[in-house]
Amino acid sequence: MNSTFLLGAAQQIAWGDFLFYLILFAILMALVGHFAWNPIQNMLQKRADKISNDLDSAEGARLKAEKLAKQREDALSESHNEANQIVTRAKDNAEHQRSAIVQKANDDVTTLKSHAQEDISRQKQEALDGVRNDVAELSIEIASKVIEKELTVDDQKELIDKYIEGLGKQNGAQ
Amino acid sequence: MNEGAKVITLLGIPFDVGNCLSGLLAATIAFLLVFIFSRNIQMKPKGKQNALEWLIDFTNNIVKANIPDQQGRNYQLFAFTLFILVFMSNQIGLIFQFSVGDVTYVKSPTASPMTTLTLAFLVMVISHFLGVTRFGFKGYIKNTFLSPMPALFPIQLLEQFTNFLTLALRLYGNIFAGEVLLTQIGALAKGGAFGFIGSIPLDMIWQGFSVFIGSIQAYVFVILTMLYISQKVEKE
Repeated sequence: MNSTFLLGAAQQIAWGDFLFYLILFAILMALVGHFAWNPIQNMLQKRADKISNDLDSAEGARLKAEKLAKQREDALSESHNEANQIVTRAKDNAEHQRSAIVQKANDDVTTLKSHAQEDISRQKQEALDGVRNDVAELSIEIASKVIEKELTVDDQKELIDKYIEGLGKQNGAQ
Repeated sequence: MNEGAKVITLLGIPFDVGNCLSGLLAATIAFLLVFIFSRNIQMKPKGKQNALEWLIDFTNNIVKANIPDQQGRNYQLFAFTLFILVFMSNQIGLIFQFSVGDVTYVKSPTASPMTTLTLAFLVMVISHFLGVTRFGFKGYIKNTFLSPMPALFPIQLLEQFTNFLTLALRLYGNIFAGEVLLTQIGALAKGGAFGFIGSIPLDMIWQGFSVFIGSIQAYVFVILTMLYISQKVEKE
């Protein structure tokens, strides 16, 4: 019974397998698609996006860094120039100041010198005048002492008159 | 591999239990592997995710080699599923052979012509269907059967059948032969001590070779599938 069943079955084409495998394949494809394929594809897409984004941002960062470096270089050379200018200007200023100070000193010295010379000559003159007056007074006193001894009253009178006259003349001249 | 097969009839449809069971087992293992490998998907892949991505990349490259990228994307999942199912079906018989009495319950599903004919039939139907959706029925007829010249129509028509048959029978023949030889080596092992010792290196060599053949055949099956699809959806 069993063997005849098997014999019959073996000759019969098991066409149910055909349906079975079609359905099996469809189910497998759906399950794989849902549980493995789609997540992986999403992730691959995300990764591709991220990589391209990263590349873009890296390019941007590179450009920015280059710009910054250039700016810094410019600033550096500018500050070099500025420093040079400052030094040059300071040198010029110092030169000017030096020459001005020297000039002023020269002038001062010249004025001082001339003042001093004027003073000296004036004082000399004053001294000379003083000496002359003193000499005159002294000589008058000496003369009067001498004259007192020898002169008579008349002579004295005459002399005094002369003297007074002389004073008057002197006053008139002055 | 035993010749016996247990056939049960459900709703008037005869099913080969051994074939269906091993197909189900192969599909389950394939799915579980892919399922486990696709847990914890991260932007930075590591370990098992790398392996899965490598496999996906592998089948995607098969598709890409035959169909230009943008259009080929639609067939990538199909190629991937086909590859893992055929591959697992080819290998499973090398790992498990489960027989009760005369009836083999677990073997390589692809060692049965029914399975390979089904898969090849599926591929051919899908390729023709895609041809029709791509060019319309007239364009499909023209592209598939009347080019490069209408005089070749009988040959083109015949080619579709031979494509279908060769696709199925190549896979079936390779895997079936491998399993038959393994069974023979197994029978040798039962024939005394001398046969047992002699069968060990033979078995090892043939097992290794069968693994190689199974992988190559899965690869070839997917390549030819994509080639047939590309013939239908590309203007020649």
